[in-house]
Amino acid sequence: MTVTESIAGTGSQTAGPVWDGITNSYRPPEDWRADVDPELRFHTETDKDLDPITFEVIRNRLWSINIAHGEQVTRVSGSPVFASLDFNMAILAEDGEIVTNAPYIQWMAAGGPFGVRYVLQHLSRESGVHPGDVFVVNDPWIAAIHEMDVLFLRPVFVDDELFCWTANAGHQYDLGGVQPGGWPQNAIDVFHDPTIFTPFKIVSGGRLNSELERLYVRNSREPGMLALDLRAQISGVTFSGERISELVERFGAAAVKGTMRRIVDNAQESMRRKLLSLPDGTWSEVKYFDHKLPGDRNTYRMQLNITKRGDRLRIDNHGTEPQPDEGPLGITALAMSGSAVGMLAVNVVYEQLFSIGGAERQIDWDIEPGLATSIQHPAAVGAGVLNTIAHAGAMQSCLAKMLACDPELAQDSMAPSAEYAAVVVAGRAASGEQYGQAILDHFAMGSGARSFKDGIGTSGPPWSPLTFLLNVEAVEQWYPLIYLYRRELPDSGGAGRWRGGTGFAYAWAPYRAASMEVMTFSAGMTLSGYSAAGVGGGYPSPAARVVVVQGSDLEEWISRRELPVGLDDIGGERIYLAGKNNGVAVGIDGVVEAVVGGGGGYGDPLLREPDRVVADVAAGAVSVAAAADAYGVVVDHLGKLDVGATERRREVLRSERGNWAAVGGGEGPASSTAATGGAPGAVHPAIVARDESGRRVLACRACDRVLCDYADNYKRHVLRGTAPVSALPGGPGVEPSRFLDPEVEFRRYCCPGCGTLLSSEVVRGDEGTVADMILLPDSAP
Amino acid sequence: MRPIIGVDIGGTFTDCIVVTPDGAVTIGKALSTGPEFDDGFINAVAAAAARLGLDLEELVSSAEGIYHGCTVGTNAMVEGRTAKVALLTTRGHRDVLASMQAGRRLRSQPPEYIAYVSVQTKPDPLVPRSLIFEVDERVGLDGEVIVQLNEERAIQGIRELRDKGAEAFSVSLLWSVANDAHERRIAELIEQEAPGLFVSRASAVVNRIGEYERTVATVVNSLIGPAMDSYLERVQERLRGLGYERTLQIMTCSGGVIAANEARRLPMLTIGSGPVGGLIGSGTLGGLEGGRGGATNGRRPSMDIVTADMGGTTLDVGVIRDAQPLSRPTSWHGQYEYFVPTLDVRSIGSGGGSIIRYDEELGTLRVGPLSAGSRPGPVCYGRGGEQPTVTDANLVLGYINAENFLGGEMKLDADAARRALGAAGEPLGFSADETAMAAIRIVENQMADAIRVASVQQGYDPRRMSMFAYGGAGPLHGAALARELGIKRVVVPLSDLAAGWSAFGVASSDVLVVEEDALSLLSPFDAGLLAGRFEKLEGEVLARMEAQDIAVDDVVLARYVDMRYRRQVNEVEVEVPDGPLDAGGVERLTEAFEREYSRLFGEGTGYAAAGFAVTGLRIRGTARLGEFDLAERAVPAAAAEARRGEREILFPEGSGARETVAIYDGRAMSPGAGVRGPAIVEFPDTSVIVHDGATAGIDTFGSVVVEL
Repeated sequence: MTVTESIAGTGSQTAGPVWDGITNSYRPPEDWRADVDPELRFHTETDKDLDPITFEVIRNRLWSINIAHGEQVTRVSGSPVFASLDFNMAILAEDGEIVTNAPYIQWMAAGGPFGVRYVLQHLSRESGVHPGDVFVVNDPWIAAIHEMDVLFLRPVFVDDELFCWTANAGHQYDLGGVQPGGWPQNAIDVFHDPTIFTPFKIVSGGRLNSELERLYVRNSREPGMLALDLRAQISGVTFSGERISELVERFGAAAVKGTMRRIVDNAQESMRRKLLSLPDGTWSEVKYFDHKLPGDRNTYRMQLNITKRGDRLRIDNHGTEPQPDEGPLGITALAMSGSAVGMLAVNVVYEQLFSIGGAERQIDWDIEPGLATSIQHPAAVGAGVLNTIAHAGAMQSCLAKMLACDPELAQDSMAPSAEYAAVVVAGRAASGEQYGQAILDHFAMGSGARSFKDGIGTSGPPWSPLTFLLNVEAVEQWYPLIYLYRRELPDSGGAGRWRGGTGFAYAWAPYRAASMEVMTFSAGMTLSGYSAAGVGGGYPSPAARVVVVQGSDLEEWISRRELPVGLDDIGGERIYLAGKNNGVAVGIDGVVEAVVGGGGGYGDPLLREPDRVVADVAAGAVSVAAAADAYGVVVDHLGKLDVGATERRREVLRSERGNWAAVGGGEGPASSTAATGGAPGAVHPAIVARDESGRRVLACRACDRVLCDYADNYKRHVLRGTAPVSALPGGPGVEPSRFLDPEVEFRRYCCPGCGTLLSSEVVRGDEGTVADMILLPDSAP
Repeated sequence: MRPIIGVDIGGTFTDCIVVTPDGAVTIGKALSTGPEFDDGFINAVAAAAARLGLDLEELVSSAEGIYHGCTVGTNAMVEGRTAKVALLTTRGHRDVLASMQAGRRLRSQPPEYIAYVSVQTKPDPLVPRSLIFEVDERVGLDGEVIVQLNEERAIQGIRELRDKGAEAFSVSLLWSVANDAHERRIAELIEQEAPGLFVSRASAVVNRIGEYERTVATVVNSLIGPAMDSYLERVQERLRGLGYERTLQIMTCSGGVIAANEARRLPMLTIGSGPVGGLIGSGTLGGLEGGRGGATNGRRPSMDIVTADMGGTTLDVGVIRDAQPLSRPTSWHGQYEYFVPTLDVRSIGSGGGSIIRYDEELGTLRVGPLSAGSRPGPVCYGRGGEQPTVTDANLVLGYINAENFLGGEMKLDADAARRALGAAGEPLGFSADETAMAAIRIVENQMADAIRVASVQQGYDPRRMSMFAYGGAGPLHGAALARELGIKRVVVPLSDLAAGWSAFGVASSDVLVVEEDALSLLSPFDAGLLAGRFEKLEGEVLARMEAQDIAVDDVVLARYVDMRYRRQVNEVEVEVPDGPLDAGGVERLTEAFEREYSRLFGEGTGYAAAGFAVTGLRIRGTARLGEFDLAERAVPAAAAEARRGEREILFPEGSGARETVAIYDGRAMSPGAGVRGPAIVEFPDTSVIVHDGATAGIDTFGSVVVEL
């Protein structure tokens, strides 16, 4: 079922009665303004002739107000969760359009526009929207990514007109539910999740409603801490709102509003211009979400498609499986759209400094409800949240492919960063004190390779650029454990012409612990298939692992005055944890090792200059074996390049590719695009579009061989090699079959002429030939 | 009393100030002579001596004290002229440097870079992996040895590193703050295997919990160790040759000076000391009794000051509370963050050299963060600069006198500046004048935004503070920033000295030794344990003072505790109240913490129910050196005529037409005389802009005080 309604002028949206905020995610109907209290007046007066300098001054001021807003929240709360930047804040126009976001978790405040419109539509007549009010909501079907990310909204009035809104969303300590901490990986449905609050007015005319505060904190295991965060978030939106009021006093409402409009317009114009420079087409990414519940051995397909036509971008989830009947697997439509927009902020309109509202005006949403990326109530939400990150990765893949079509924008084409499995430790310290929280080392993931450069090792997430790795000496104070090692892991970045940044292995042993249990919940196929997708023939980065070694030989190492530095060093019984599980008790002589992966590769690894591979080997980023297997580069025992052996090795690998099977279904073009007379131009890292005998075709960039018609799925016209996932170097050491019943395989597609890789992917064995790029013929350059 | 000499090396000039026993201040300037800066040092002192009618040796040998702010270490880091350093760390943790705490490294970067993920990068490693050796050993958080030090393998490692050509060593082990035995032993082994090489030991460099920032600090100390060691040795040698037998005092970023020998052991303390001198000087002047130094809060004297030090490439902002500059525990070298007890100076890339350009993507004019620096510098300098800068805009507006720049030593090319500004504004249809006005509005607002964020972030409202504006460009823009921030009073300290204010600050500094103890204690606190740890720290501070030839009786000790609520992250440094640290003392300490917390973070934001934690102890030992008093000028019966004509000036927020503005010679102004804006008060090295509606006067110290 597809429900798409178009709203002229504002960009069509997924809208209509289905999107009710009850069963499906709230999307304001076209005529939402009709429900707004007629007494409530919107401030719309703008200075259209605002001089560019006043604009620049106010723009900078809005940015610094929004940053200071975040400082205010973290300072007042003192929460380690906020200090680890698990929040974001925004300034929104009077009708909820985002004027500016901040450089923290990009989708965190994505609920802002929906929260504002919901409040205006449903609350303005009864409770009213007045100066000094603050509204709060954590309903995942209205305005929150999951229950733990609570959103606060405060209107700013100028005289008696609603001028704009300030908002922040932040992750709380605890809001109830069957598991402490709010990620119940075993929640059957949302009734096992943390408590949901639909929007209500917590502050009325500047006065905190203490009845509602008591209600809000009642279901928490940590009411005192929750109350502090509540006050911190309220003080944040209040602080920011008051600064905006001062700004209005200083420059006048019309100038400030004029600046806000121009910020949004500039972002829109930038998005438009970039879209216009690209050919029309659809780029898709297929991924899988593992395990609906602990013990489930299935993986669930999701698909993201972005279709660029003219100056507009349509984003849809067609092809995604329906949400499963139970368990926290899927994400809401809000998380789907929020993560997509979040990646646009850092990959496409980065120069707008997180002012994403204007870019959104160019997007048409076409979201099919009830799928794994648009789940309906009462599906569990809390622990499915990591799949928001998997979805952001899919968006990054789609954008990387789309941006590769323009020589200038190709500079911004970047493979995704690693997704991860969060590892939670819980138990009792020797002192008797209880502990339990996620070990956050996964934020040291590697980033994806770029079209002109390698990815960054242990870079941190692109969707939250400032998020960081804590010191060993911090973590060891909080939990009864000692780290054995934290080491950048060879081969953890995807191989490619440009290599993905490396990830990192970290291991610890219980220390002064009475008990320790380890539990994981993961994004996508992090522990079964791969960590990040590759682009343009670059390899995906290998899967990560979470391993408990029971009865380890650590004591023997210590008695020899030595320490192990890798999983291979440690003797004992290994237990590989699945992407969702109910926890494993770690013996007192046990060791836990986890890996966070590297970024995806970019382009065919056989095209990487051998000297770079030799340098990678010397730096420990690539193993000697992977240099030979993935890159075809032979490094001798002194670490030097063996030129002759490398040439021979690469020849062998290329000729092996020649034996791969033709994909089939590719006989005869499905379409026929007329020649355009245009110059040849790259439309993919390894493919060009050019004229050939009166047709516009896709051809191999390396050998110029024609692959197919311009508008065809090129993958159906080339050779495909299929291999077990373990063929990806640097993998976890176990096959996907350890965790999954469906078969999973590593597929590579190459040019039949020269063997250059065009695409590589990890997919379920029953997957068809995924069309990752379909260009539309009528706009062929 | 004998003269006191302060020498401050800057990027272009080395400044020397001499405070003679009558309280008068004399400046000498010479070109800086990097990378061997000692010539510039001596030349600047000679220039000051000449102005005093003394020869160099006469002045130097008679000096009560010589104080030195030195950028040799800073420059070596910036230019990458550093030693080949080897690192020994705990087995399993060699990548601590390379990981750079993932995204945390970006906190030092401008938003344009943070947002643009596809161009981000990591800098080259401070130590390549081939020069890092992992030692088999492990200490737990409370100092327990979990794995004994494997000496044989450590020796092997040291030999390997030595044979690879290591020029300096650094040793940084996990939890060495809790037990430094392994670090000490390894340092001994290095001395045994590679005698004479510079060695930094993490727990001796900075004793704070957090292995990343501590390791970077240790490595930085070694990177500049050999260069600083030889530079300071040369300066000490030359001063001895000129008859100076006392201790050469070196400015640190912590806000005090240390003896040169101590600086040779801990050179990282000199990095970033440049802007600190000015902050100290402001604290000294602003802290004078009754607000005599110019600081005020409306009508009442106030010791709360925000400092704006604007030079060629950056604006350095500091906050002074109750005459005490605020400190912080870390500093940045590019994307590397490291522990160092430093005054909290925040820099943004706005200065006289900031480049003005049209931004196509945003359709607007941008100023900075790119800078033309001193080479090629602003277009008007005529040294090959082609992109217009803030200084060019100041010139075109008439803020700067083209004929009298640096006292007439340098002629400025106003026509070239005008052409470049016109070109930059062309896409917007702006004339050169309009572009200049626009650029100044933008840069002044950027600076105001930075000051606002810097003060608000630390819980201060700038409207309740006065501003001290100095550095070459500070007096030009100070009043405009103050107006934007709601500040009522701007002080240009000692006016014509504003450009050499840092050197003055260096000369007015106390000796400062900071010793820290990292620990992790939860309430209820053991008073005996705290007292014992403080006693040990006190011993260390006094030993370091004695090593600098300072009598124990002259040392003033202040004890501080870093505290936080359990389960919350905001740490607050609290001074331990007077009296013994017994049960009652601990209670008073906790009360002081709660008061300070609610002052900084707001009423009701603490969470006492979770209990308290102590994370660090610190003693600041200070000792006054040569005491001097600034001479105060008397208010004359009749003011001399200081007006020197008028100039056509464009004010960015004015009517858009040039206004005729009175020009005053600041040196001819005497205390008590005031001027009404719009006016410009000129000095050889800087000018003070007085806007319409503001007044300016000279106080008895010779500072210009602008009232808004």
